[in-house]
Parts: sequence; C-alpha cells; structure tokens
Amino acid sequence: MDFVILSIAMLGIGIYGLLTKRHLLKVFISIELIATAATLNFVMLAASMTNYVRETLLILAFSTETAITAVVLAMMVIVSKKYGTNDVSKIIQHIKEDEEESEVN
Amino acid sequence: MILEIVGLGLLISACLAIFLDEAVYSVSALAGTFIMTAILYALSGAVFVAIFQVAMGIGTIAILFLSGEMLSERSLKKTSPVMIAGVAGLGAVLSLPAIFFSISSPNNFYSNVSFGDSLWNLRAFDTVLQGFVILTVAMGILIILYQRKKKNRIRSGGQ
Repeated sequence: MDFVILSIAMLGIGIYGLLTKRHLLKVFISIELIATAATLNFVMLAASMTNYVRETLLILAFSTETAITAVVLAMMVIVSKKYGTNDVSKIIQHIKEDEEESEVN
Repeated sequence: MILEIVGLGLLISACLAIFLDEAVYSVSALAGTFIMTAILYALSGAVFVAIFQVAMGIGTIAILFLSGEMLSERSLKKTSPVMIAGVAGLGAVLSLPAIFFSISSPNNFYSNVSFGDSLWNLRAFDTVLQGFVILTVAMGILIILYQRKKKNRIRSGGQ
C-alpha cells in the first residue's frame, strides 16, 4: 500500500473541509485531518532513516500536531466566546463591522 | 489486504468527519480516524507510534469535549473546600504505592524484568487496548452530555 497516496487523499479531504465548511468545529476537524496526513507521511518516511533521526522526526511530528491542536482550539474558544457564534462567515461579518466602527471613531 | 481495508476505513471515517452534520457524530468519526491511523501504524510494525497516536487521540477528544463544555452557556458550580480536600486526599492515597513500591527497580514485583522492558516489550498491546477503552469511555461521556444538553435546549425552547 502506498502511504503517500493515502496521506495525499487525507490532505485533500482536509483542505476541502477547510475551504467549504463554515462551522468552527468542522474547521478544527479539517485542520486535524491535515495534521494527521502530515504525521502519517512523516511516520512512513521515518521508516527509511537511521534510528536517532527517526525518533527525532517522530517526536517533532507528534509535538507539532499537539501544538496545532492546542492553538487552534484556544483560538476557537476565544473567537466563539467573543462573537457568540460558531459560524465563520458571521464571525468575519462581525470583524468587518468592528473595523468599520473603529474607522468611524 | 488488512492494510488496504484499514486505509479504506481511514478515508471513509475522514470523509464522515467532514460531511456529517451533527457535531457529536463528526467527533466520533474523528475518533475513528485516529483509531484507524493507530491500527495502521501498529500493523506496519510501529507499535510505539501507535501508542502515541492513541494517546494523542484521547487528548484531542477530551479537549474537544472540554471546549464544547466551555462554549455552552451555563453557570459554574463552586467546588466546596471539603470536596477539594477529599480529592487531594484521594490523590495522596493513590500515590502511596508509587512511593513505597518503586516500580523502576526490577526486584519488587518482577524478578528479572525491568519496568521499561515490561512496558515496551511485553505490554505494548495491552497499553493500546487500555487506550481504546479510555477513548470509548470519553466518547460515551461526550454522547451522554450532548444528549443532556439537547434535552435542556428542548426544555428551554418549550418554555
């Protein structure tokens, strides 16, 4: 089984979800899928390397994925609390209104 | 053949995670994606990476559940000092075996096998199974709380 093709397919699903879905949770899930695809690629690439490089690569990949999850979730909670909605288009609308108000003031 | 089936399941659960409308089903499908990825790693001979993947999946699902709770609007209950003291006492009691019976030394419970050897060589599969059990419990709690929230929403809508 070609794992590169599998990870590219997962990357495609994640990018599609990131571009088309408007709910914050779906955006988060899409980012998770993209990160999982990247990690899958890293893991399968690490199989052909020497022992220390392999372990370093894996620790780097997993820590990066965890950091992405933490940062995206924190931003999601902050934005949702601030604007009171989970819809990305409404949040963008709120941001534009805030910018217009600040320009007027 | 098994790898192809697991890969197919991985892509199907990834698609379901994106396309399902209900949030709890999407999160369930995401958990399925993590499990499939872990199985894929384990079948490829990387059990250590599979354990990491399951642990990360549990963390992600738990954080998703916590963020869902934070996003919902409800009043926070104050924890009583007695409760805090009780939990602290329970933690102290649970830490006693680790203090008095050092599991890192090989001569206490296992005669010839050290803790690291027993964890990585003998109990890797067991650890993966325990991870799946914890993941299932987290998903169950998530679904129960989601249903409770749904009931409360219907009640508040009816009034």
